[in-house]
Amino acid sequence: MEMLSKLKILSDAAKYDVSCSSSGSNRKGKKGDLGSTSECGICHSWADDGRCISLLKILFTNYCIYDCAYCINRASNDLPRAAFTPDEVADLTINFYKRNYIEGLFLSSAVYKSPNYTMELLMNAVKKLREEHRFNGYIHLKAIPGADKALIEKAGMYVDRMSVNIELPSDEGLKLLAPQKNKNAIIKPMNFINSRIHQAVEERQKFRYSQSFVPAGQTTQLIVGATKDSDLKILRLSEALYKGFRLKRVYYSAFIPVSKHPNLPVLASPPLVRENRLYQADWLLRFYGYNASEILNDEKPDFDLALDPKCDWALRNIELFPVEINKADYYLLLRVPGIGVRSARRIIDARKFGMLGFENLKKLGIVLKRARYFITCGGKHYGIKSMDAPSIRNSILFNSNNNSAGEQLSMFSVYPQLLTQKDIISTITGEL
Amino acid sequence: MLQYIYDGSFDGLLTAIYEAYYRREVPDEILSEDSLQQNFIVEKIHIETNEEKARKVYMSIKTKISEHTLRNCFYVFISERPDRGTIIYRYLILGWKIGKTIDQNLKNDSVLIVHKIRQKVSKEVHWMLGLVRFSQLKSGVFYSHIEPDNDIVGLLAPHFAERLSDEYWIIHDVKRNIGVMYNKNEWIIRDLNISEEISFQDGEEDYQKLWKEYFKAIAIKNKINPRLQKQYMPKRYWKHLIEK
Repeated sequence: MEMLSKLKILSDAAKYDVSCSSSGSNRKGKKGDLGSTSECGICHSWADDGRCISLLKILFTNYCIYDCAYCINRASNDLPRAAFTPDEVADLTINFYKRNYIEGLFLSSAVYKSPNYTMELLMNAVKKLREEHRFNGYIHLKAIPGADKALIEKAGMYVDRMSVNIELPSDEGLKLLAPQKNKNAIIKPMNFINSRIHQAVEERQKFRYSQSFVPAGQTTQLIVGATKDSDLKILRLSEALYKGFRLKRVYYSAFIPVSKHPNLPVLASPPLVRENRLYQADWLLRFYGYNASEILNDEKPDFDLALDPKCDWALRNIELFPVEINKADYYLLLRVPGIGVRSARRIIDARKFGMLGFENLKKLGIVLKRARYFITCGGKHYGIKSMDAPSIRNSILFNSNNNSAGEQLSMFSVYPQLLTQKDIISTITGEL
Repeated sequence: MLQYIYDGSFDGLLTAIYEAYYRREVPDEILSEDSLQQNFIVEKIHIETNEEKARKVYMSIKTKISEHTLRNCFYVFISERPDRGTIIYRYLILGWKIGKTIDQNLKNDSVLIVHKIRQKVSKEVHWMLGLVRFSQLKSGVFYSHIEPDNDIVGLLAPHFAERLSDEYWIIHDVKRNIGVMYNKNEWIIRDLNISEEISFQDGEEDYQKLWKEYFKAIAIKNKINPRLQKQYMPKRYWKHLIEK
């Protein structure tokens, strides 16, 4: 079956794009149309790497005119190539969707012939789905950097989400690894999509009928570890993207060496822990009211790989703690390591009905493994005796190492040892 | 010790709660007939289901407490726990006492347990919205079989009726031998036992093959993580998935 090998090639080529979310759009089904979208998104399966499968994530084609060193589809790479037709994409999407395999389509592409030519192919495929097949499910479309505004605008009317991948977080990185691309060609379409989204939102408030434009917003992706950029630099970029372009999400992808190029770093394994820390910090930016400059600074431009960024922040600001659970306001509760948005809300609700003790918190399902060092319940503290940062840090690390020793070990083999042997022994014996 | 016994229906449970109130009794447990255990020191009262009485309790929950509380009761009910009647009863007693703020009172064990059950059931509903797998039968009908922990087909139906509004489909709960069926217009739940062999439409197998291929290709080989996969997608659901 020809289709089978095409799907294999073009999904294999698309898998390094991290985004697979189907959220942000809430559209009811209509009689006669196929499909609906759900505000919070729905995952349909989880692949063997543990990533959720929500959308049919494929490239339209993997024939590429560019030769970016970090990318598996670069022109000089010798691998099987293929291209779908718009009908094939539509048929796959519709039939997968009806069987409830997927929530919609994520269509991306390598740059075939020229950016405009590729963008037009993509636009035609989604147009076909929406107009001929009356497909009303989720569509995430990649905007090709360098493509004409008019094409991007037209495509934006058919899709739920659009993204332009920045990939390399700095200009120097681009020059080194993707000399055919430039920063401007990437930033321009993002800026344009942003202004069109907000134009559409304003129109919707004024007129009863208005054309929607990318209702689920735009996203981007950054590759971590292919260049020498520090975590601070990446985080500052994300912050600027959230504030300046009102992005819905910035995705981070640990660099997986897909080629040997003199300009690429040699990594034993992808920097997964670093990727994880970036996501944690990203959440702090978006939902917890942190600034990038609070999380990292020039003296400390990279994450502590042994400790999550929130914990790290709390230890650097230990004078703010312990916090009294029964009195602290919502934003202060959110700053306690281990207490998230949901836990903070629960605490606020429950304490209206009386003082909360340590046992109450446990029952509410609040994870106290880290939180207990930073809180008091009715004046009582359940952490360790001293409130000084190094001893708390040791205590946290020592306790958590027991649970996930396997993971921690593989992490330490990639990165310089963070906890020296002496530190570990001193936490066991309790003397510093 | 006093036990009320109802017939296992939601209406039956509401009737039991009605009776408890008007007979001025406080039953220690409200159980359904099928979860009965022989015990001689227990006084058992059989409650006959009465739609009118059930409706009164239903309306009273909705207006005197909140719609949210009503939904919570329903979720606890479909969890099929043997003690669901008692849990709902204790929760409602408190609800009528303190009103619509009851659901903030997570310090109270009767409320907390309801929320925990609701969370669990909701989670499974959300899972199933994604994990239901339809196959197209010769007749054109999209058929799927599932085995959820809770009795949730009724909560799945509205989602699919909206999404696949122009198809015939069936979701078959093979654990409970019930199914929800949709005829392009409305859905119903009824008993379902399929004994004859199922034959699929031409091309069905091709799409299943394509899906399996996609599932394999999309995983990044350097990041294989079965533990994470199982955590997100519990193994007990796998046997009804095409890709697993």
